[in-house]
Amino acid sequence: MSVAQASRRCVLVAASVCALISGRLAAQPTPTESTPAQASPAASTAEIPRLPDGRPDLQGLWIKSAGGFQGLFIGSLDGTNFAAGGRAGGAGARGGPPPPPRYHYTPEAELEKQDRTKRGYEDPEARCHLPGVPRALDQPGGLYPVQIIQDERYVALLHEAMHDVRIIPTDNGKHPRNYWAWDGDSRGRWEGDTFVVDVSNFNGRTWLDMAGNFVDQNEHVLERFTLVDPNTILYEATVTDSTVFVESVEMRFTLKRVPAEQQILEYSCLEGERSLQHYTEEDGGKKPRAR
Amino acid sequence: MSMAGSVRLVCSMALVATLVSAAAAQETERAATFAPARLQDGKTPDFRGIWQASSTAYVNIEGHAGEKGVPASASIVVDPADGKIPYRAEALARRDKNYNERATADPSVKCYQAGVPRATYLPTPLQILQSPGNFAIVYQENHAFRVFHPDTRPHFDNTDWWMGDTRYRWDGDTLIADVVALTDQLWFDQAGNYHSTGVHVVERYRMTGPDTLEYEARIEDPAVYTRPWTLRTVLRRVAERGARIIEDECLEDENGVRHHISPSNPKNLLETDYSRWKQELRKN
Repeated sequence: MSVAQASRRCVLVAASVCALISGRLAAQPTPTESTPAQASPAASTAEIPRLPDGRPDLQGLWIKSAGGFQGLFIGSLDGTNFAAGGRAGGAGARGGPPPPPRYHYTPEAELEKQDRTKRGYEDPEARCHLPGVPRALDQPGGLYPVQIIQDERYVALLHEAMHDVRIIPTDNGKHPRNYWAWDGDSRGRWEGDTFVVDVSNFNGRTWLDMAGNFVDQNEHVLERFTLVDPNTILYEATVTDSTVFVESVEMRFTLKRVPAEQQILEYSCLEGERSLQHYTEEDGGKKPRAR
Repeated sequence: MSMAGSVRLVCSMALVATLVSAAAAQETERAATFAPARLQDGKTPDFRGIWQASSTAYVNIEGHAGEKGVPASASIVVDPADGKIPYRAEALARRDKNYNERATADPSVKCYQAGVPRATYLPTPLQILQSPGNFAIVYQENHAFRVFHPDTRPHFDNTDWWMGDTRYRWDGDTLIADVVALTDQLWFDQAGNYHSTGVHVVERYRMTGPDTLEYEARIEDPAVYTRPWTLRTVLRRVAERGARIIEDECLEDENGVRHHISPSNPKNLLETDYSRWKQELRKN
């Protein structure tokens, strides 16, 4: 990834994200271990913005505020650990955002996961490949926003990270045959005020994070986007994969509206690849091995 | 040829010329008066859809002869009238050097984002996403995209990006976009035509019929050209049923060379084989 880009983003958004997070902590209900379906917001939806067709208007620039980032420490100036759920210095305690997802692997997949953890340098995202789903949204909190443009026929997600694009039709169509992609194939539908996306047709190449959590070609994702208030989208993803997981993986975090004075920046990866410079030669990187 | 024959020839040439110019005038008039559909707000021109250039100007915007699998193309440079980019002498030398090294030096060979205006007339489609107050273009090639921002706020400048920073406004039914912050590593085509980081591009998008989108880009870069110049081409609506922007990723081979891969090629489906772990488990 472009380090300069990332640091510029940090400078641009640090102040506002901190403000959003403190506001969010105050406003959020106590998280529970309940399933996303049970936890879906029952908040008043009267005041959320809507399009002329009555659908919730998801448009705008959004950024993941905290949580769900592979247990690494992603700090901010005030000591907030975005990765651990946005609490200062540690894991999401009572009152904090939801805990990171749990992965229940088959015995073979568990060994594969452990093996991949040791080979983090093989993470396809470090080589500038598309992150897949749900990793496209599960980016480090506060770093890379997503621009949503919506009309009566599609909801388009333009991700700053990896300039990943998903143009999701809203007609609940069928997945194609003979199509296998990093981001799979997304088909959307509205269930009341929630935008539900069924994602399939993955090419089996993506990882779920930097820590070696992974999926294979049988991955299937059900995503739910719910505008819980004018400035918050609740994102929920259920990842199933019959050859990798014995139980589905549940992810849940919020996207916060980025203040209007900010804009999406460019993320060029292949064009200025620097991640591999942090890996040594024996790990397939560009850093000379220690003598 | 007899005098009468010559007169007849001249007359028929004049007739053809008259007919041609009449047709051209009619076309211009139609283009000038074509009113695109509107978005839900009843005001904003609706440019939504999947569009693609039909010419092969991506090979060389100054025009090129046909070659295997690639038909010839006339220059899409409409100003100056000779169809040539008005390079400064030293800049022309660099263009020629680029041309000679194009097999490896062209940034598109490395699967880099194509920049502006090059992304517009690639041999791959683009999709315009629009809603009242929003305008973005997604390019199939290397999944590049541009979010167009209203020109009511200043450019995000002093950076060198691959797709630049875009501000736009509507002038009647024409969208005018102002683009800066483009890196000097970009080319206009496969022939080594290039610009510096000081380049300033003004784009004009205008529908000339229900399925044609005229694209014009005025290029200004005093460090490289003696005067501003303009290219113009037409994008056509991709009307196939079920047409979509498909995912375009490049994979690196063992020689470090990147290749576009197709999501419809079964070879790109990577099936994970767990048999080694089954053996591992039996051992333990």
